[in-house]
Amino acid sequence: MLKLEPERSRAIALSVNGKRVEVEVNCRDTLVDALREKLGLTGTHVGCEQGICGACTVIVDGSPARACLVLALQAEGSSVTTIEGLSHDGEPSRLQQACMDATSFQCAFCAPGILVSLTWFLDETPSPTRSEIKMALAGNLCRCTGYASIVDGVERALNDPRSEIE
Amino acid sequence: MGHGNFVDDHRIDDVLHAAFLRSPLPHARIVGIDISRAQAAAGVAAVFTGREMKRMTNPFLPVAMQDGLYTPLFWPLANDRVRFVGDPVVLVVAESRHLAEEAVDLIEVEYEALHPIANTTQARSARDPIWPRADANVLLDKTFQYGDVDQAFARADRVISETFSSHRQANQPMETRGCVVEITPSGPIFHCSHQNSHALKWVLAMSTSAAPVWRSLRSLAAGRKQVAAFVRGLRSFAKENRSELKKRDNSGLLSQIKREPRTPIWIAKVLANVVTADRSTLPRVVGADVGGSFGLKTSVSREEVAVCGAARALGRSIKWIEDRYENLAASGSAREESTTMSVAVNDDGRLLAFRVHMTMDAGAYPAAPASAAAIIGSMRVMMPGTYRLEAYEHRSEIIATNKSSYVAYRGPWANETWVRERMLDVVARELGMSATDLRLKNMYCPEELPTPMITGPTLDTRMSARRTLERAIAEADLERFESDRSAARADGRCLGVGFATYHEGAPGPPDFLDAVMPGGGLLANETVRAELRQDGSVDIFTAQMPSGQSHETTFAQVAADELSVSLSQVRVVWGDTDRTPFSAAGTGGSRGGAMGGGATMLASRNLRSKILEEAAAIMEATVEDLSISDGHISVVGVPAISISFERVAQERTARGDPILEAFARYDGGPGGWVQATHVAFVDICLETGTVAIPRYLVVEDCGEIIHPAVVEGQIRGGVAQGVGAVFFEKLQYDDQANFQSATYMDYLIPTAVEIPDIEIIHLQTPADIEANYRGVGEGGLIGSPAALTNAVEDALAHLGVRITEQHLPPTRILELAGVIPHQTV
Repeated sequence: MLKLEPERSRAIALSVNGKRVEVEVNCRDTLVDALREKLGLTGTHVGCEQGICGACTVIVDGSPARACLVLALQAEGSSVTTIEGLSHDGEPSRLQQACMDATSFQCAFCAPGILVSLTWFLDETPSPTRSEIKMALAGNLCRCTGYASIVDGVERALNDPRSEIE
Repeated sequence: MGHGNFVDDHRIDDVLHAAFLRSPLPHARIVGIDISRAQAAAGVAAVFTGREMKRMTNPFLPVAMQDGLYTPLFWPLANDRVRFVGDPVVLVVAESRHLAEEAVDLIEVEYEALHPIANTTQARSARDPIWPRADANVLLDKTFQYGDVDQAFARADRVISETFSSHRQANQPMETRGCVVEITPSGPIFHCSHQNSHALKWVLAMSTSAAPVWRSLRSLAAGRKQVAAFVRGLRSFAKENRSELKKRDNSGLLSQIKREPRTPIWIAKVLANVVTADRSTLPRVVGADVGGSFGLKTSVSREEVAVCGAARALGRSIKWIEDRYENLAASGSAREESTTMSVAVNDDGRLLAFRVHMTMDAGAYPAAPASAAAIIGSMRVMMPGTYRLEAYEHRSEIIATNKSSYVAYRGPWANETWVRERMLDVVARELGMSATDLRLKNMYCPEELPTPMITGPTLDTRMSARRTLERAIAEADLERFESDRSAARADGRCLGVGFATYHEGAPGPPDFLDAVMPGGGLLANETVRAELRQDGSVDIFTAQMPSGQSHETTFAQVAADELSVSLSQVRVVWGDTDRTPFSAAGTGGSRGGAMGGGATMLASRNLRSKILEEAAAIMEATVEDLSISDGHISVVGVPAISISFERVAQERTARGDPILEAFARYDGGPGGWVQATHVAFVDICLETGTVAIPRYLVVEDCGEIIHPAVVEGQIRGGVAQGVGAVFFEKLQYDDQANFQSATYMDYLIPTAVEIPDIEIIHLQTPADIEANYRGVGEGGLIGSPAALTNAVEDALAHLGVRITEQHLPPTRILELAGVIPHQTV
């Protein structure tokens, strides 16, 4: 028989988008619960809660992670980057701007997870081929676009003259 | 960034959270429900069973009534029995979703299992009908005939028949369904994720205005003014739409009453309640960003009504965000039909007649308002395509089963194209003709237009299906393909090519909707309001609700062109029923570009005239002498002297005049078809059964294009869903109607590596008709299943394979090719 435990909670400290935050989380809260509900960072979306669609992807300590599969407690002391951390002072990142210019997204519900995944990917693989971009994108589901426009967005970012300067 | 505003992003204080207890059984009687432990659980505010919900709400009323169709009356929660795995049984409202879900686990429901009905065959012989008042599980069985079918079949050299089956698929937007009902002192606000805020508002109002009839009767007497206003509105509606109303066929209502005599009583009760309701108690529906829909969110869901009812009963705000399991199991599904098609054809390839028997597996509960009945009607009308036929018969059968509701899914009628285009390849093979020659022989030539389809709608002179096919054949380079095919065969690879040509009513000619549903033209109208703001910018208010189709870009573009202002000067406002004009149909049926775009153009034009009149007065010139360029009005030839839109707006305000606004209503005008030919090339590996798609070509004609990237995005997205439909996605129920696709590891949505590059060629036949935009949201998914399955059969034909099913995952390919023994059903 199931027994209801009171919701036990604890304060954890972590860094989110470069800022140190302290947040009170329940032991069963996932990282995406903490980000969305406790920190108000609603840019990270919940698509399936099954670790498959990739909408909730964030960077945890340098690696992409499904925020729906990570317990908030596990993120204690970690450094987390969300979609809100990709832009600087309200200015979209090179990839974000290129995707807007390429009409990459339609409903854009999947966009935060995809932009976070691809930002990480481009850091790791600065000059990928088109098929490498597709492979990198394959961890995220998009139901609207058929993906071509997103790959175009990435290529546009790569061809942005700013990318050579950086 | 990360500043989207989806329904789950909506934050309000003191909001409660909803979770549903859903049926684990496909078909069972509810013997008893014990909610006591759930009620006592931590953080629980309320627990509603079906019995309570029935007291708080009215049943969903039948909308698409047809002669011979039975539409059950049903409530938001299951009452006496459950009818599919996922059927909502109890609603729990608690302080958090976690607590609500925990309380759901504490509810004990005693079920008495009934015999599950997993498919239409079981449904026909079932002892226990899903809807006891329906007598049987066959909800509609009606045969429509056009021309002398028997005579055409008797005269034909041959009759070729085949039965095709398509599998259950689901819309699966990345954002699930959900709502936040906010209780405010000025009435409830329903924050939605939906395609049609106005229909949602009125269905919610009708469903949750559950005042007892005696009170309604009393308020009918007391609220004479309100009633009189309602009657006046009804009269003027009847006067304006006299011709459409005359066309309406009332036999549907009569047959519904015969099988469900309580229907008129409920209609009267609901109307009395809504008419007399205090306006401020009706929900105001507000929508912002919608994370995809593909037809799913045209339906008003039982869950939305339950949550709205609960919020009104408790006087507390409630949020409900569906999880993915619920979305897969219970939001809705589509496309499952079995269709037998016989073709009367002469040896030279001339088609004489089609005889079609289509059986639709409609699931348990009819979706509201776009139900299976409306969808099978459009399949019947579109099935002949753009081919010459002397006669045609369509037997339309709708059967209830213990599955989730059959809902509209992008190009809901697409199986008419799949079956017809699949069948034409079968016929061509039997006659020893090429698939393209058979199509060219029978497809209308431009010089034969205009001509009516055998089912009624006019194929106008701009109908260019044949041009798309001819161009596609030229681009396909079939000679080179044949040499590639031979070379690949030597390598053990099977190459195939498949064509599919279709036309779609997006919006269709003026007689299109009436052919589907007499009087259906009533739904065509779309109104747009254009407003000049104080700062000189222009707002376009539309009832359209974008869920990724970019209305906010295309409508702004149309308005900016018409007003000669820059794009940044126009803002598109949608989603709020208090601010946007009423539309019965909202977004759906590819109406956005056609009706919404047209109304935007005309409203902007009206606003332009008003702005010019104002400017003429200010500038002491005549309107004819003025022109607008980049948001400035000047006298022709004297560009140096000009005034801005802002000045016009401010002069009015200074005089104390109201802001400048203009309306336009548009029903699609002369309309027109969108047509396309899809060509799929496949490369099948017989070791793994995987199907590669080295090339995919779409030649389409949607007339004038507003925004190429938007059009191409819609087409590619539709084709991607077609690739998913054929090779990956299947909403699986076992033969006991147990649901087996609970996660995205079971329901496979294609990723970036599975979707081919898609070439698109636009023909853009000029229309020379104002505001003649057409819709492109659905076509990608109408043509692709046919082109892809035709290509697979072409690749495997040398092995004697005939494709009669739509779902072809690797195992099935290997079975069909004889590489492994048959295992799947």
